[in-house]
Amino acid sequence: MGVDSAAQLVPLRTKDEVRASIETHVLYAVEIPARFANSVKDVIHEARPEFKPGEISHLRRVVQFKFLPPQLQKRFNPPARLQRGIRNSEEHEDDEQPPPAALFNPLPPSDDESCSDSDEESCAKSEDTVRFFLLCPTRCFKPAELVALLRKNPPFSTMNIHPKLLYVTVPALAPTSAEQANQWSEQYWPIAYKNTNPFGPHPSLVARNTAEIESEAGDWLALARTAAAETAELGVGEEVGCVVVDRSSGTGEVVAIAGDCRWRSPIGEAESHTGPGNVMAHAVQRAIAIVAKKRLLMAGKNPAFLDRTLFCDIPLTAAETAAYEKANIEPTGYLCVNLDIYLTHEPCVMCSMAILHSRFRRCIFGKRMPLTGGMTSDTAGNDANPGKGLQHGIFWRPSELNWKFLAWESPASAELSASVTDTLHV
Amino acid sequence: MPDSNHRFKNDEQQPRQDQSADHDADDMKPEEREYHERFMREAINMAELALKSDETPVGCVFVKDGEIFGRGMNETNRTLNGTRHAEFVALAGILSKHPVSTLKETDLYVTVEPCVMCASMLRQYGIRAVYFGCWNERFGGTGGVLNIHSDPSVDPPYPVTGGIFREEAIMLLRKFYVQENDKAPEPKQKKTRELKTEILPMDIHAPKSTPTPPVPGLKKPPVPAASTA
Repeated sequence: MGVDSAAQLVPLRTKDEVRASIETHVLYAVEIPARFANSVKDVIHEARPEFKPGEISHLRRVVQFKFLPPQLQKRFNPPARLQRGIRNSEEHEDDEQPPPAALFNPLPPSDDESCSDSDEESCAKSEDTVRFFLLCPTRCFKPAELVALLRKNPPFSTMNIHPKLLYVTVPALAPTSAEQANQWSEQYWPIAYKNTNPFGPHPSLVARNTAEIESEAGDWLALARTAAAETAELGVGEEVGCVVVDRSSGTGEVVAIAGDCRWRSPIGEAESHTGPGNVMAHAVQRAIAIVAKKRLLMAGKNPAFLDRTLFCDIPLTAAETAAYEKANIEPTGYLCVNLDIYLTHEPCVMCSMAILHSRFRRCIFGKRMPLTGGMTSDTAGNDANPGKGLQHGIFWRPSELNWKFLAWESPASAELSASVTDTLHV
Repeated sequence: MPDSNHRFKNDEQQPRQDQSADHDADDMKPEEREYHERFMREAINMAELALKSDETPVGCVFVKDGEIFGRGMNETNRTLNGTRHAEFVALAGILSKHPVSTLKETDLYVTVEPCVMCASMLRQYGIRAVYFGCWNERFGGTGGVLNIHSDPSVDPPYPVTGGIFREEAIMLLRKFYVQENDKAPEPKQKKTRELKTEILPMDIHAPKSTPTPPVPGLKKPPVPAASTA
């Protein structure tokens, strides 16, 4: 594989990842002395047992002022500071009860919170520094309700002070990578990243697979373009093609090649390009059928069993025939398990689901088809249709569909893929 | 929705669907129900034939002008091809004799809700309407999991009606799932499995995004069968 054949592969984001990256909600926070964090937490959870703390476990619950993102530091400046009882009584000896403001006093702006120097007073101040504590989403309480509840409990009850509710906008769902966690910590609120991705494949899994296929992906995508050009040349299809590759043995082996055949009539002639054509002869459908035929052949069965002309699953071009005739597939294999599919364009919803039904391992395509494609989850679209996208994200919806696989796009190859009509179902 | 390049732009379109355009057979008038049941009975017959052929028992018929003009059954196991669903098999027959435009006056009757793949294919072909038996919670494309029939698309939507002979469609699937599927990898022992005959009544009749309630024995077949609908 030549170096210049390397395709830059960009992993597709899953539907849940897209959702996780854009969904935010507002949480209540209060300033409290660090040692009261647990008791305040218990008060909240006792009052709202239906609120599951797991829902906000991707956020640091107790945060020092200095770890807040810059915009919150600006908003919450100056941070409150708990004053010592002695000083309270000194300063407010005339009052029966100290006014609330005196208990949570602002720190002097120049105050150094760190304990790095040996200044004992500085360390004492640090211990007293009030922490920012995340309570719960705003839907759990009306503000007055929550204030009343907090007021009845320590530290607010014992110190006789009014809680001041703060509002913080945070990502509603956990981050899917360390990069995202860092970015969110800067943008919203300190994040506790658990090195997992609950909304898609683990980043290390994606990285490993990208590394495995990246050097040869450009060649397979080029072969898919050849397949596309060949059937288009015959006048029987759109310039769309795909290649099925078996990489389970460590090196890439082409198992099937298919170009689009939607304009091929039942008797094998080129038809006029009106209507949807033969939808069942999309390149993906043909490739899957050719893989099945090879398995039947290898198992010593008649590959034409139950065949129908309209399925168009007989190799038609030189490239398709060469791949079909190579006896390089396990007769005992199941559907397209462990196989990869490379396409010139993003497959339509039908073909995306056909790839899922066939249990492919990986899917790589060149050009996005935002008006018809079934793989992408975001609204990025392509140059011709920015901001579009059906957002089905069929490759990774494990809670809804019964198979999942990894998927990439290759923007570099997209430029080389034929420019088919925007509304074409690939 | 982009509609400027709509390929069916000049043709008569289905009325635009709203939520209420997804129907439940239980809401039908008796005479209406009788009409549809006649065709669904034929689809069930195809599903029974599939079961006898060691295929996932899903069958369908396509109906035009009140007459059946195409039949299909699942053939995924025998062809080793997970996309050979009943709808594909029937259409491969029909379209070898009739032009695609015929489908705009054609209705599909299928024992199990079309999967996401078939739902998209039917929309690309411009099917007039779809009637089905039971919902498909694993990969249904017309309300069971996704709403490919009515989601944004360059193609016009089509109306769907589910629940015609639902119990029979479920029973056929259950009969299949208590058998062995030796095509699937690492088959699990099914000998101890029992055929359950009780079918819970539907308590929710809102097909859109509201799949049929979980039915014991149907929801998650432990062996990945090649397909159902």
